[in-house]
Amino acid sequence: MASSAAGSVPKSAYRRPLYVFEAPVRIWHWLHALSVVVLSVTGYLIANPLPSIGGEASEHFLMGNLRMIHFIAAYVFAIGFAVRIYWGFVGNKYSRELLYLPVWRGEWWRALFEEVKYYLFLRREPPHSDAHNALAQSAMWFFNTLLGLFMIVSGFALYGEGLGLGSWADTGFGWAIPLLGGSQQVRMLHTLGMWLFIVFTILHIYMAIRADIMSSQSSVSAIISGWRTYRD
Amino acid sequence: MPVQETFYEVMRQHGITRRSFLKFCSLTAAGLGLGPEFAGKIAYALETKPRTPVIWLHGLECTCCTESFIRSGNPLAGDVILSMISLDYDDTLMAAAGHQAEELLEQTIEKYDGQYILACEGNPPLNEDGMYCIQGGKPYVEKLRHMADHCKAIIAWGSCASWGCVQAARPNPTRATPIHKVILDKPVIKVPGCPPIAEVMTGVITYMIAFDELPELDRQGRPKMFYSQRLHDKCYRRPHFDAGQFVERFDDEGARKGYCLYKVGCKGPTTYNACSTLEWNGGLSWPVKSGHGCLGCAEDNFWDKGSFYSAVTNFGSLGGAEATADKIGGILAGAAAVGVAAHAAASAISHIKSSKSRGARHE
Amino acid sequence: MSKTVTANGFALDDAGQRIVVDPICRIEGHLRIEVNVDENNTIRNAVSTGNMWRGLEIILKGRDPRDAWAFTERICGVCTGVHALASCRAVEDALDIEIPRNANSIRNLMMLAQYTQDHLVHFYHLHALDWVDVVSALKADPVATSALQQSLSPWPKSSPGYFRDVQNRIRRFVESGQLGPFANAYWGSPAYKLPPEANLMAVTHYLEALDFQKEIVKIHTIFGGRNPHPNWLVGGMPCSINVNETGAVGAINMAWLNQVSDIINKSITFVDQVYIPDLKAIASFYKDWTYGGGLSGKNVMAYGEFPAIANNYTNESWMLPNGAILNGDLSTVHDVDPRDPEQVREFVTHSWYEYPDPDAGLHPWDGVTEPRFELGPNAKGTKTNIEALDEGAKYSWLKAPRWRGHAMEVGPLARYLVAYARGQEDIKMQVDGLLSDLGLPITALFSTLGRTAARGLECSWAAHKMRTVFDDMMANIKAGDVATANMQKWEPDTWPDDTKGVGFGEAPRGALGHWIHIRDTKIANYQAVVPTTWNASPRDPEGNIGAYEAALLGTPMADPEQPLEILRTIHSFDPCLACATH
Ligand code: HEM
Ligand code: HEM
Ligand code: NFV
Ligand code: SF4
Ligand code: SF4
Ligand code: F3S
Ligand SMILES: [Mg+2]
Repeated sequence: MASSAAGSVPKSAYRRPLYVFEAPVRIWHWLHALSVVVLSVTGYLIANPLPSIGGEASEHFLMGNLRMIHFIAAYVFAIGFAVRIYWGFVGNKYSRELLYLPVWRGEWWRALFEEVKYYLFLRREPPHSDAHNALAQSAMWFFNTLLGLFMIVSGFALYGEGLGLGSWADTGFGWAIPLLGGSQQVRMLHTLGMWLFIVFTILHIYMAIRADIMSSQSSVSAIISGWRTYRD
Repeated sequence: MPVQETFYEVMRQHGITRRSFLKFCSLTAAGLGLGPEFAGKIAYALETKPRTPVIWLHGLECTCCTESFIRSGNPLAGDVILSMISLDYDDTLMAAAGHQAEELLEQTIEKYDGQYILACEGNPPLNEDGMYCIQGGKPYVEKLRHMADHCKAIIAWGSCASWGCVQAARPNPTRATPIHKVILDKPVIKVPGCPPIAEVMTGVITYMIAFDELPELDRQGRPKMFYSQRLHDKCYRRPHFDAGQFVERFDDEGARKGYCLYKVGCKGPTTYNACSTLEWNGGLSWPVKSGHGCLGCAEDNFWDKGSFYSAVTNFGSLGGAEATADKIGGILAGAAAVGVAAHAAASAISHIKSSKSRGARHE
Repeated sequence: MSKTVTANGFALDDAGQRIVVDPICRIEGHLRIEVNVDENNTIRNAVSTGNMWRGLEIILKGRDPRDAWAFTERICGVCTGVHALASCRAVEDALDIEIPRNANSIRNLMMLAQYTQDHLVHFYHLHALDWVDVVSALKADPVATSALQQSLSPWPKSSPGYFRDVQNRIRRFVESGQLGPFANAYWGSPAYKLPPEANLMAVTHYLEALDFQKEIVKIHTIFGGRNPHPNWLVGGMPCSINVNETGAVGAINMAWLNQVSDIINKSITFVDQVYIPDLKAIASFYKDWTYGGGLSGKNVMAYGEFPAIANNYTNESWMLPNGAILNGDLSTVHDVDPRDPEQVREFVTHSWYEYPDPDAGLHPWDGVTEPRFELGPNAKGTKTNIEALDEGAKYSWLKAPRWRGHAMEVGPLARYLVAYARGQEDIKMQVDGLLSDLGLPITALFSTLGRTAARGLECSWAAHKMRTVFDDMMANIKAGDVATANMQKWEPDTWPDDTKGVGFGEAPRGALGHWIHIRDTKIANYQAVVPTTWNASPRDPEGNIGAYEAALLGTPMADPEQPLEILRTIHSFDPCLACATH
């Protein structure tokens, strides 16, 4: 049955800790998490600015600073993203799990199905996986890799509007603006992307903590230390 | 054969001295954002060439682009029409009517095949076999195609010709279609705006005549000289934007102080046009300067992107109400949070249950 | 059909030669006129067809009522702003919003500026060439032209050298062979009556007016940010006033107010020293061209415009009054109420639209816009190549609006007749002055020329009125009131669930109304009934013909091949087809 390949290991068997998340992945993860939070907060405030402040314009730079922080975080996000993709090629086999979904493998689908069953309480114990279970992997791929790429493309396309026609950002990403239906449309989609990141973050943090409490394998400590440990 | 007079000759006959002619050329060069060395080139071109024939067609539109055109102060619209170009057909201004007017189209094709500029204001509707815009008993789109077949280049005046504009707003009952989607085999220069600024219109024409070439265009077919920056990039209220000083309500304290209009819906950050630099009607003002946010009138489909008074864009409609990214996102995030809470509760219950049963067994 | 008499008393005969003029040029939009002429080349049947439709009433459904002004403003760029104003008024009426006094003054100024510019451009650029022979101007003596000009007005541009320069410019232009917009026209036709000097003077002013009109609209630019298509706001105006506080440079300030004042002065001068003298001079040569009265001597209507008192849209407040005159009876002026379902109704029996009950009229609050293009059985040609229309069936993109079942003429002449009949002093003085200058009776107004003359008088009236309105506004600002917008009911949660409103007034071309139905904060229905819809209207189920069709009847054509007489009369209405069909 499903349990043999990706399924659960007999409960009683002791498993040795496994080194899953190499240092670059861990460092990236936390930088990435930080940048997403900063990008979301500043992005939200760019779209929905705070109440006006009085005084002379020259004395304040609130929106300007928010935008600057957004752009700094955006660089962290984008460079981190690129490094993480690179690491996917040179890192351990778990580091590749973020790059693609093995949709051509039947057992991957079966594992996905089992994982869904687990979250629907149709199965008591989670199926076993080393790095990411199939459900988490799918979520990471859609909500992080693909969406992250979209945020970078749309974000730098918007950034190129400020840098000007012919700037590197315009040359590299400006094509996205007419493709997506104009500047206003791009901002709208960019904002929608933020909300998807927020949705992912909520689910992701919940599942990480839940896994720590309820399953037999370590989760939060794994993304801190790199080692996946097993209980029971 | 009658001699074709040049622009320069016409200016001279108009009582204009060579000195002021040259001044006109350098003003034109400056207006186009070109250095003084170009004044000479413009002068040379205007001194030697016969007036370029222009056919100006009108489709579904409000004729505001024509109205804008005649507001041009530099060059004066009268000078453009009478001296720079030869406006061989324009149903809004021409003296002839009916078949005498229509004959002029064929005469132009005969005399200037491949040489005239086709200026299109408005657009053709394609539903009902094109009969939502009838000219001479026939669908306008036929006339447009026929005249496009023989022209040198097409100027799409305004947002109607460039993008579709108001009649193409949802649900576009007539299937009003922009020029570049009907004429596929000729260069189309889009000069969007609802309407475009007068001096942008005359600037584009002057450039084409003086340099005898098409202006350099951006990705979307707009002349770079006027459409390469957003209003927001050159807006004089930008310091208030950067500071975080906004008009919260029309006619509030901030409005009287000239704060940024972002929160009352200004589309300057997403609109490519020359308003914040050239301004309107001889550089007097522009929408933002007179207190109303930019509507985004030079952008594709600006009618269907949500309220003109909200910074937020509509995503489409969701069960009757507009869906904005914040609304959809908020709902999704809320649902995720609720889902997580419910799932956590369910997990806790099942956890307790299972440990109880396990515990029971152990006993 | 052959011979009939219409319900509104016009004899029609479609037996003779059918003449088609399409496009009618020098108008806004696309209009087709077909006429039948008898053996003496006199027009005996006339058919007016709106050649375009865009569907704005459909497009407006489901949208935010606060955005509607921007959509409706794009109904027309020639009478720019007037639909925006009607729309704001309609929404304010539906939501019970009162606008501040300054907003009322600014709106009046913008509308008056629109009248002034629109009328000026119409006279010189859209209408003059029906009366003025450009080619004949070449034969003029510049010295005599200068004398003529100086005898008419103190306008300074009047030297012989000035006229010689203009004449030379035209000569070179004509000799170049590139006649541009003047090509293939009717120059030399015996229908032109002006001496060469008057022609040269008028052509000169054609050019001067083209330069000047762009100055008038700067009033829109200052208050509305641009022209064409300035910005408006439900609840007032978007421009704030700040004359004495920090940041005044970012609002309507003293410098801009001075500029408005200056434009007003220049407009008064131009209209009174150029337009009005030209109008009188030209009219004096065409006094015996008495055709084109149509409905003007019978049924005319005005809704009223320029509220002197903010938020008061009644005759107590209108500077140009509301009223309807029936059957030429100037002694009785009926009140017109656009809310009354018995009064304003639109029919589509002869229009390319469909109603649930095809012959019933609908009040605009219940109006339906459902296109249906079809040609009648007697039409000639094919669907996409119409040779002649069948006016017995559907034949126009215009609906047929009626007031208590009557076809009405609207526009400057209608407004002036209503004001005259109501005994309004300023208008009476102007009209009586012109008639006595030309030595004509009041009935001479019921004609093509009367329509053109009323427009000229109104242009002057509007320019002067700007001064009054501006001075009032300055007094109000001086008294400390700088408010321009009332935002109390800006948020949709302050609105009733289901409400209706009407915004009405007078556009340059005549009575304009927008009817709105707001349900659940969105537009449930929106209907516009526009001046040119009244004037260029097709027939109604009773067979009443509209103002254009009526005005063409009985006009002799010098040469049926050259539709100069048709152009004269149709142009006298200042057609706007984008408006009419929207
Ligand atoms: C307090 C916040 C967070 C915690 C506690 C947390 C925890 C974790 C844990 C435990 C894992 C390992 C998953 C596994 O065991 O399979 C993980 C991986 C991951 N997390 Fe987070 N996370 C946080 C925030 C975020 C945020 C904000 C993002 C991005 C939006 C994010 C993106 C990811 C990604 C992409 C991975 C996969 C790493 C890899 O395989 O390379 N995390 N996180
Ligand atoms: C998870 C990643 C990101 C999130 C959540 C995010 C979020 C946002 C949001 C909500 C806005 C406001 C949009 C609006 O006004 O409607 C915004 C604006 C913007 N973002 Fe991002 N963003 C992200 C990544 C990026 C990246 C990678 C860039 C690249 C430079 C970028 C550049 C911009 C720019 C240029 C703007 C427009 C700012 C302005 O014009 O004032 N963003 N972002
Ligand atoms: N008819 C009409 Fe208009 C006017 N005046 C609108 O209401 O012209 Ni375009
Ligand atoms: S682009 Fe706008 S202004 Fe120009 S014709 Fe179209 S609707 Fe009118
Ligand atoms: S007013 Fe508009 S264009 Fe100007 S800074 Fe503010 S948002 Fe940008
Ligand atoms: S509405 Fe149009 S006119 Fe300029 S300021 Fe915006 S692009
Ligand atoms: Mg209507």
